[in-house]
Parts: sequence; C-alpha cells; structure tokens
Amino acid sequence: MTDLAARSVVTPADVIAQTDLNPDAAMQDVVEDAPPPPRTSTRPGVNGSVIAGIGLVVLIALWVFCVRVLRVPPYIMPSPEAVLKALWSGLAIDPTSPKGYYLPLWSTLSNAATGFGIGTGLGLVLGSLMAESRTVEKLLMPYAFALQSLPKVAIAPLVVIWFGFGDGSKVAIAALLAFFPVLINSFTGLRSVEPEKLDLMRSLSATRFETYRIVKLPNAAPFIFAGLDMAVVYALLGAIVAEFLGAQQGMGVVITQAQAVSDVAGVFAALVILGVLGIALHSSVRRLEHRIVHWAHRGKH
Amino acid sequence: MATALAARNGRAQRARPLIDIEKVSKTYVTASSGSVHALNKVDLQIGEGEFVCVVGPSGCGKSTLLRMLAGLDTYDAGTLSLDDQSVTGPSGKVGVVFQAANLLPWLTVRENVRLPLRVGGRHDAANSRIDALLEMAGLAEFGARYPYELSGGMQQRAGICRALARDPQILLMDEPFGALDALTRERMNMELQRIWQANHKTILLITHSISEAIFLGDRVVVMSARPGRVLADLHVPIPRPRSFDTIVSHESYASLASEIRGLLNAQEGAPND
Repeated sequence: MTDLAARSVVTPADVIAQTDLNPDAAMQDVVEDAPPPPRTSTRPGVNGSVIAGIGLVVLIALWVFCVRVLRVPPYIMPSPEAVLKALWSGLAIDPTSPKGYYLPLWSTLSNAATGFGIGTGLGLVLGSLMAESRTVEKLLMPYAFALQSLPKVAIAPLVVIWFGFGDGSKVAIAALLAFFPVLINSFTGLRSVEPEKLDLMRSLSATRFETYRIVKLPNAAPFIFAGLDMAVVYALLGAIVAEFLGAQQGMGVVITQAQAVSDVAGVFAALVILGVLGIALHSSVRRLEHRIVHWAHRGKH
Repeated sequence: MATALAARNGRAQRARPLIDIEKVSKTYVTASSGSVHALNKVDLQIGEGEFVCVVGPSGCGKSTLLRMLAGLDTYDAGTLSLDDQSVTGPSGKVGVVFQAANLLPWLTVRENVRLPLRVGGRHDAANSRIDALLEMAGLAEFGARYPYELSGGMQQRAGICRALARDPQILLMDEPFGALDALTRERMNMELQRIWQANHKTILLITHSISEAIFLGDRVVVMSARPGRVLADLHVPIPRPRSFDTIVSHESYASLASEIRGLLNAQEGAPND
C-alpha cells in the first residue's frame, strides 16, 4: 500500500513536464486534471488479524469456562490443556513416524490438492464452454445443477465403489466438490462483461479467442477467485469425507481412530489442525487474488 | 434558414467524401417498446481531414449512426461507405473513442493503448509508436499505471491514444467527454484540437454540448428527434487554432449557437448548454 501511495503522488511539476506542445493546455492541466489522490482505506489484514486474535481469546476463555466452571465432562468436551497435549504429541514427533500428524496430513493434502486441480480445471473449462455457447449451456446446465443438488455424502459410497479405497476415491470426491463453485462462478463472470468492452474488441476485429483471453477471462477473474476460495475448502472437506468411508491413511483416519478409542481430545486436536489448514488455504487464495486481481479492489472511476 | 446555411458549407462537397452516408435508415426491434424507427434517410458527407460534430436530442440515433460507421451495427436501407468502400463490418480505417474511456482495468495504460496492435498481431515497431502516442497525450510517465490510478481526463486521453494506435484515417468519437467536469472538458477540447491538427485525421464527434460542437467542428450537423435525420449542416467559419476565449467573441459564434439551440429546442428533449 505504501509503495502504491508513493507512486500515485504526482507533483504539478511532473504534469507540466509531461504536457507538451500547447503551453495553454499544459498550464491548465496542472490545476484539475491530476490523478486522483491515493486511497487511504486501511488494509483489511491489519485490523483483521487483531479482531481474529480477540475472537480466538474469547473462544478459548469460553471453552475454559465450560470445562472449569460448568464442569462439562472430558468425554464430551476435553480441556484445552488435554487438546494441546494431544496436539503436541502429534506435532513434536519425527515427521516420518506413523503416530504423528505429518504423514496423514500429507496424504490428505496431496489428495485434496489433486482433486482441487482436476475439479477447478474442469470447472473453468466447462464454465468457459457454457459461457461461450448457448448450446453447450443448455446441454450442460441442467446436469450441473442436478449434480450440485445431490448430497455429496450420499454419492460418496458410489465413488468409493468406482474408484476403490485408495487415493482415487479421495481425489474424485475432492474434485467433485471443488468443481461446482468454479463452474458457476466462471460462467457468471465470463457472461458479465460490459457490452462496451465487447464493442471495443469487435471494433478491433478481434477473434473470439482474443476477446476471451484479453477481456472475458480477466473480467471473470474476481468471480473465479471467489469460486476457488470455496473450492479449496471444499476439496479438503471432500478428501476427509472420503477417508471416513475407508482409507489406510489421512486426517480422516486419524479422527476415526481417535473416536474408536474414545480419545475425544485427539479428535479435537485433529479438528484444530484441519481448521487451521482451512484458514491457511483460504488466506493463500485471497493473497493470490489480491496480487492478480488488484485492479478490482481499488475501485473504478 | 437551415437550408441556406447548409448551402454555405461548400468545402466538404467539393472534396471527395471520405465518409459517405446516403439515405441511411434503421429500424430496430426491442423487447420492451416494439419496433423503433431510429434513423430516417440520413445524408451526410464528410471530406478527408474534416472535423464534423453531430448534435441532436437524446435518442435521436446519432450513436447508432456512429456505431454503423464503426461496423458495430447494421443498417436497413441506403448506402454507407468509407473511402469508397461499403461498410460491412469493423475496419482498420476507423478508430473508435468510446464514452467514459472504456479502458480495460486489468491492463496498464500502455497495454491499453497497445491493445489494437496486440489484437491485430502487429507486434513489430509497436513500442516506438506507443511511446510517441503517450508522449503526445502527455501520458509518457503514466504508461505503467493502471486506469484506476488516473483521473477521468487522463483516462480519456489514453482512450484517444488507443483509437490512434492503428493510425486510422478516421476517428469516431461518441460523446467522449460527457462524463468529465466542465473545466476538464474544455481542456480536453483544446487537446483534441491539437491532436487533430497534428495528425490530420478525419473526425466525427457526437456531443450534447453546443459550445463543444462549435469549438471543435469545421461543421456542426444538427439531427432531429427520432427518427433521426439531418436538420441542418452548419459551417463554422471561426479560424484555428481556436480557444474558448476567442470563439465566444467571434462574430459568428452567438448566431451559430442560437441557431443550433433554436433547432434543438424545437425538438423534444433539447440539451441545456
């Protein structure tokens, strides 16, 4: 933000130096036609992390209150210390140990990432085809919505039958969940181009692909990123749901195993890991978006 | 009176018209209001290097006329030709300046100006030409900026540079300064006059402002309310380069302005200027 602000400041001398030939125009130019002043809005991250920190403290205080004062039994809600201990035993361990979180995390994450790649890639390609062609739209849109209205947990066993208990079914369900938000958002974004921008490309005799690549796709980028933001969390969710149905490894297995021995603190610890992971994935998508779609966040004239 | 003044305008008729509009009519069908008769036998000839301004009430079809010349809209009857070639679609002879600049917000100013060359696949020699254009418009230092970092006037200057990128013979401008404040607008008029004199383009500019039309135009064409047709074609005998201070004191300014205003007031939805 600060370097942008610095770049946006233009002194009248700069403008004089730039406006040539007509001295009248140059003189007048200084007064009114300078770039707009830099925006002074606060960056969401600064205040945001403070608020998030306060929220976390309040949450833990409530938790301690429930366990200590209301005496909720540990098999319903373990104490923060017990969960912390379980977390520590999973984290402060040799990364190659089967008792740690690292191997299952890697397994879940790599399956979720593969599914995310396949699902969002397919979503973008089919969303683009649907946006470009009314025929494809009419052909595919009903099935897309039919697929989306099915409860994924209900089709998950079917996917396991098709793809087996290995990584295949985890990747497939992750892809299935990541697919829809990107499909719909890219479709919507590609269709939402201002007609003037399409006129511009037509006046330049641009090919269909040039219009897609130079105008429609960048225009859809904020929509697509909103879809990716959902898809990244859905992909993680999909991989874990698939692991619940049967798997050799993964965070889903860690949870089911802890459950099997009534290790409620262990379940909580695994959930904390997944929650933190979800936040990390979400914020990295947001960060990527702010880098790529910076123009959409700074307003228009 | 209108016809007498139209006859006064001899210059364009003598030269071979670069833009030739003959008896062009257009009716289009909308979902809400059925069929709309937009243009009715419009006749207009514009010679090479001429600057012609078109004024008319809102919805008189002047934008439609411009879109037809740009190849963005079709016409039902009559002939429409640029440089003796019938208009069948967008052509490289024409550069279009849109309302409110219409820059692509995800491209830098330089990339926006270079867009017509990029689309044409003409990457050769593009850089020096873009530099010269940005320099001419006083945007040389703003090439790496994004449109949102520029004022409205600067954005429209970039829009004009973009229209000039392919070095077209003709510039079509659809109310290019309508969104700007009055002061910036006058400055942009000065700039445009300078650009036009430096580049020898033929310009057709649509505007709602009578003073802008007189300031910029060799001729001011007044159109009627829908269905649009040419009411008057007035020659502006004020020598160039013009400035806003000198035009208002010129003997013909007041009579020209009041004649245009009178013609527009007789129509529906006359502009206030």
